[in-house]
This record gives sequence, structure tokens and C-alpha cells, in this order.
Amino acid sequence: MENNNAEAILKIKEVSKAFPGVKALDRISLEVFRGTIHGIVGENGAGKSTLMKILSGVYQKDSGEIVFDGNKIEDITPIQSMKMGLSIIYQELNLVNTMTVGENIFLGRFGEMGGREAVHSKARILLDRIGCQIDTQKEVSELSVSDKQMIEIAKALSFDSKLIIMDEPSSSLTFDEMQQLIKIIHDLKNKGISIIYISHKLDEIFNFCEVVTVMRDGHLIETRNVNAISRNEMISMMVGRTIENEYPSRPNYVGETVLEVENINTKLLKNVHFNLKKGEILGFVGLVGSGRTETVRAIFGADKVKNKSIKLDGELVSINNPIDAINNGLAMVPEDRKIQGLLLQFSVEKNISLASLSELTYYGFLREKEERDISERQIKSLNIKTPSAKTKIQMLSGGNQQKAILGRWLELKPKILILDEPTKGIDVGAKYEIYLLMKKIVEDGGSIILISSELPEVLNMSNRVLTICNGRITGEFDPLQASADEIMAKAFEF
Amino acid sequence: MDKKITTQSIITFTKNNLIIVGIFILAIITSFVEPNFLTVGNLQNVMRQFGPLIMVSLGMTFIIMGGMIDLSVGGIISLVAVVTISLIDPIGQAAALMVGVTIGLICGLLNSFLILKGGALKQAEALFLTYGMSVVFTAVALIYTGAAPVFMSYSKTDFSIFTAIGEGFIGPASTSFIIFLVCLLILYIIESRTHIGRSICLTGGNMIAARLAGIPTEKTIIFIYAVSGVMAAIGAVVLASRVTIASPLMGKGYETQAILAVVVGGTALTGGKGSVLRTVIGTLLIILMSNCLNLLGVTTYIQYMLRGAILILAIWLDNRKQYSEGN
Repeated sequence: MENNNAEAILKIKEVSKAFPGVKALDRISLEVFRGTIHGIVGENGAGKSTLMKILSGVYQKDSGEIVFDGNKIEDITPIQSMKMGLSIIYQELNLVNTMTVGENIFLGRFGEMGGREAVHSKARILLDRIGCQIDTQKEVSELSVSDKQMIEIAKALSFDSKLIIMDEPSSSLTFDEMQQLIKIIHDLKNKGISIIYISHKLDEIFNFCEVVTVMRDGHLIETRNVNAISRNEMISMMVGRTIENEYPSRPNYVGETVLEVENINTKLLKNVHFNLKKGEILGFVGLVGSGRTETVRAIFGADKVKNKSIKLDGELVSINNPIDAINNGLAMVPEDRKIQGLLLQFSVEKNISLASLSELTYYGFLREKEERDISERQIKSLNIKTPSAKTKIQMLSGGNQQKAILGRWLELKPKILILDEPTKGIDVGAKYEIYLLMKKIVEDGGSIILISSELPEVLNMSNRVLTICNGRITGEFDPLQASADEIMAKAFEF
Repeated sequence: MDKKITTQSIITFTKNNLIIVGIFILAIITSFVEPNFLTVGNLQNVMRQFGPLIMVSLGMTFIIMGGMIDLSVGGIISLVAVVTISLIDPIGQAAALMVGVTIGLICGLLNSFLILKGGALKQAEALFLTYGMSVVFTAVALIYTGAAPVFMSYSKTDFSIFTAIGEGFIGPASTSFIIFLVCLLILYIIESRTHIGRSICLTGGNMIAARLAGIPTEKTIIFIYAVSGVMAAIGAVVLASRVTIASPLMGKGYETQAILAVVVGGTALTGGKGSVLRTVIGTLLIILMSNCLNLLGVTTYIQYMLRGAILILAIWLDNRKQYSEGN
């Protein structure tokens, strides 16, 4: 690094953090210098947010050392970290909508400031420092997103912050608002304040960051000066190289069109349309929030979407809820395994039989013997490692939980299987088993829609890839022809 | 598993069933201090109080297992009681009974309709919504009666269904006890053997996941509120038959008692697991407790306080248990 004269405000040494079943951060070392704008990029799940949450005291690190402004950070709470001068501005801003601007800036500190009324004059001074003219008596609910961001920055300044972390601040800003933010960031830098700027948007990194760190899969890939890295290099570092034999050979038995989706419009989605062929694995590449999950939820009837057109084998079908979808031969493994997929307090058996329950019902009564048979069959055929079928599913590893959800659907022999992040947070071995399973499903005549934040997974498993960004399908690729960089460029085409 | 009773196993049982053990100890103390406790008269008294509350609690069990809450049962009891009793003379006993139960059903369906249409699918939202409905049902009862109590009359026939429910016996068992057994059996079969019973648990366990896996969660919510409404109506009839009078405020307090009975029985307030059988124990304990405290001369107001404290304790214990299971 060239900043040899500058002093590091933040030193992170060999910091690791594991969550059950996944290593979120693996020996991360990083230095942030005073008065520097330091960009951090990486795909979803790279570990950026985990690292920031450790810094702000939301999570505790498992090992390693963090020194901030000369002090070791150990077992810190969010309020302590703010008082030390480390502020974080989250993507979902943390303001109380029903209170005024001034009150929000000094929230919880009215006493120190000399009363609820006294905060306004102090807030005025802070806001003036960043050239912001919002009335401090205004209620926050009346403000635009960019104004709210200004309030958050003023709040950070009120703590005399030496380091301000901004987590994807630009995601909902207009061009003009963004220019204003950049100006403020430069002002802060000139005052000697360091900025960590987390973003998906590579343009922003090149525009105004001085140093950039690329993260991937919980690893810190590299930290470099921005003028010493090319855009393509950065994308390659983010995406990573494919390891041989991490994926089974690609199935290739694509047949007739089975699914035609047209005219999906919501607040986010704009005229989404595509088709899916028999025996095909169709990959969706896009960021979280790009509309990829919303699209499949609309198809599956999980969200109500009016006037959509879904044709199965050429025939128009009406899917208004998940039951309709299931009756039409659709199945969906949802994005969030614990919240949307599993009944954590229930047994493996009940979690597997879940979707087949109507099949097990005769005149309203359940056949428990058949229920046992179903779960035994799926546990065996998918090699789900569980002490018994009666074990609570929350005791299983992420990979085995996911296999149980797959077993739930495979019992119904679905024509179209939607997999939303099917391998998120599960280990390499279980991932490979799930890939083999996907291959078998399409070879048996099923079709799969695959959504994943792991680009190599989509590229290696899919017969065809669609990129989605900002609610629009922006491109269609043959993963054998197109390069990862080409595809990522389309996925980032805002 | 080791079946021997050791000090350790007693401690573990006590820890897991703190409230049950506590009320048991209270009963033992009472039987020593107050010899009247173990008399036939007093135990019959306990059973009489058991009648109305257990009906409401059984319905509430399904509601809570389904992850919801129903505070409107107090209002339903008041409304059903006054309407049923007032209709005995004009339309006859059997017809009045049927109208009463139908009103309970309609009230329950109305609750579920408002919950589904209003999107009040969180327990807290259902809590406020059904509280509001309770006020509405009570108000209708007050308007209907002009705020005056309605007396039961025996003008037309010698034999009265209502006296039979209130005071009659079939063999050694009181009629209301037989009604309770029939309801318990039906609800237990629904709970343990049927699709809808499983759907209740699944909906309470994780409504989002259950819906995405094709469980008819909306129908399930309609079902549990309908059952709760009908059971509250049956409870109202049992209560009115025993006291031979119906007042437009008579259901007040039943909702908290029923929730208390369900939770003390061990059905998790967070939904997903529980049983009507547990609720039977819970209801017995609640009534036993208030009986003991009455005999010991503890005033009603202190009893209210104790009930509240026990509810808080039960929720706290359950959360602690779930937390330790979660790890």
C-alpha cells in the first residue's frame, strides 16, 4: 500500500467468525487509513455485512484482533462502538419516523444535550457542517431517502465519528442525490474522517474510492489502490475461479417448452417474461433485490400478482396461491430455509410429509403409516443424515435440512422445481449431493429454475442463464459461450 | 430410560412443571388447613365451575395451537347466553339452543373473516382485533337486553333441557360432564388424527412455510375461530343453565381464564404444539387454585393478581424452555 505516511485508524487482524454450518469470515486482515475512502465489494454472502456487524458490535468475533483508534475492540456493544467514534449507516436506515430530525440525531441522549428542545440548535450546527438545510423540527417520515441519509450522517458526526461505514448507501438514491452524497463524503474525508463504502456498484468504487477490498465466500481476496486495478480484474476477483469437479457434468436433454411466463408486473418487476423447457436447468443471475425471488414467488402464487400469464404445456393456468401451483405440478424451495422452508420445532418426518399431506388424507383423516413410509423413503433415497425420522429438524445440519425440503417436493414428482438459493450456507459435500440430485431430476424429465448468488454454481449447472436487474430481464446467455464477466456486467446493468 | 424415581428426577419434573407442582402443593396445604376442602360438596363445587370454563378453554387450545389468540370469547359468552335464554319462551328450548350455538359459530366466522381480510395474521394483531370484537359482542348483548339480566323461565314444559344441563345427572356423571367428554373426544380426534388438526399445528408452527408447502392456512384460521366460537357458545349455555340467569356481562373474564388454563396446561403461546388433554389439566388446576384460595380466605382481588402472575410465569418458563431447546 502506498499510504505509508498515513496512520491506520482501524486494524483488523486474522478475524474469523463462524455460524452454525458456515464459516462467514475466514481470517480477515484489513487496515483502513485516516481520511481515506475505502471501498469494499463482493457478492451477496461474501462476508461484508458480517464484518461490519462485528465492527459495530452486533456480532462478536470468534478469533482475531481488532484495533480501532489505538484501542482494542473486545466484546463491544453497538452503543459503545458509536461512542468510540465508529458509526455505521445501514442500508435500511435506523431512524424513528414519528420523531423530528433533531430528536433523531440525538436519540437517547436528550439528557446529555440538556433536554428535548435543546437538541435542535445542536442538530442545526451538525447539519450545516454537511451543507444540509433540512428543518430540524421536521418529522422524519416527511423526508426523502437521501435526506434521511443526511440525518444518519449528522448523527454519526454527533458522536465525533472517526470512521463512518456506509452499507450500500446509493441503492435508493437518484443521480442528483448521489452527487450530493459524494460531495459530503469528500468533505468528511477532508476533515480527516475515514469512510468505509460498501457497494455492489463498481462504477462508484472507481469514481470516488481510493482503496478497494474485494471479498468472496468469507475470504478477503485482495486490498488494492483503486488506480491499480481494472474493472475486469475486480469482477474476476469477486466471482472467483471455478474449481474442477466441484460440479457434476452438465445434463443436456433439453426438450419442448413446458412453461411460458409473461407479463409479470409488480412494484419492482417490469414485464418479466421467459420460458422454460423440459429437462432444462434455467439459471437466474441477479443481486438480492433485483427481482429474481419476486419473479418465482409470483409464478408460484406466493405473492398475489394480477394479470400475469402462465402457460403450462401451452395451456393457460390460473395460479393464485401455492396450492394451485402445487396442483399444477410446481414446487418451490424458498430462499430463506429457516423462515420460509422449515418448521424448525417439528420432526424431520413432519417436515418431509408437509407437501404430501392431502395425498395422505382419506375423508379428512391422516394415514400415519403412509406418512412414515414417505419420510423413510425420502430419508433413504436422499441420504439425509438424521438420528431418526422423529428428530426435530433444527438438530440437523443445513445440508440435511435442505435435502429434507427437497425430499418434501420430490415425493410429489413435480414437473417444474424452483430452487431459490438451494445451497446457501451448506458445506461443499452436501452441495455436490444437491447438484447430483438436480441433475437426476432433469434427466427424469423435470425442469428446474435455479436462483443463486453464487455465480459459478449457476454457470456450471444451468443450460441457459437469464440476468435480472432492477426488475427487468437484462440478458440471456448460454453459459458455455458467455464468460462470467459478460454475464455479471449484464446483472449490474442498472 | 431410567424409570426409577430419584431426587434428581423429582427436581427435573418440578423444574419442567413448576406451576403444576405449585398448585398441587397449594391443594395439599389447603386440605390440611381447611378440612372442608376434601368434602363431596366442595369437590362438586369445583366440578361445577369446571363446566363452562373447560368448554371455552378447549376452543382456545385450537386457537393458540394455531398461533393465534381469541379475546372475543367473553363477549360471545355474554351474547349467546342472553339471546338463548330470552328465546326459550318464544321459540322453544331446542330451537333456542341451536340459535345460541349458531350465533357462536357466526361470531367465530366473523372474527376469522376480519382477521384474514384485515391481514391481521400476527398474534398481536389478532389480539387487538378480537379484543375489539369482544367489546362489540358485549355491546350487542347490552343493547339486546337493555343492560338488564334475563331470567330463565320454565313456563311451557315440565322437563327442561336447561335444567338437565345445569343440574341433571346421567348415571353418576353430571350432564355437563358428559357434554364435556363428548367435546373433548371430538376435539382430540380432530387434533391427533385429521388433516385439519395437523394443519392447525403446522400453521401455528410456521405459517409462512406451511403456506408455501400447500397447507391451507387460511381455511385453518377460519376453522379454529369457528371452533372457538362454538365452544364459547356451548360454555355459555352450560353457564346459563347452572346459574339460571343470563346477564349481558356474564362472559367477562373468561378469555383470560381460558388463556391461563391453556398456557398452564403447557400449550405454547407461540403456537405449533399443545393438546386439548393438557388444557383439561390446566383448567382443573386453575379452578382448583381459586377454590383453595377461596377456602383459605384470600380475597378475589389478590386472586386476580395471582392469576396474572401465574400467566406471566407460565410464559416466561415456556420461553426459557424454547430458548434452551433452540440452542
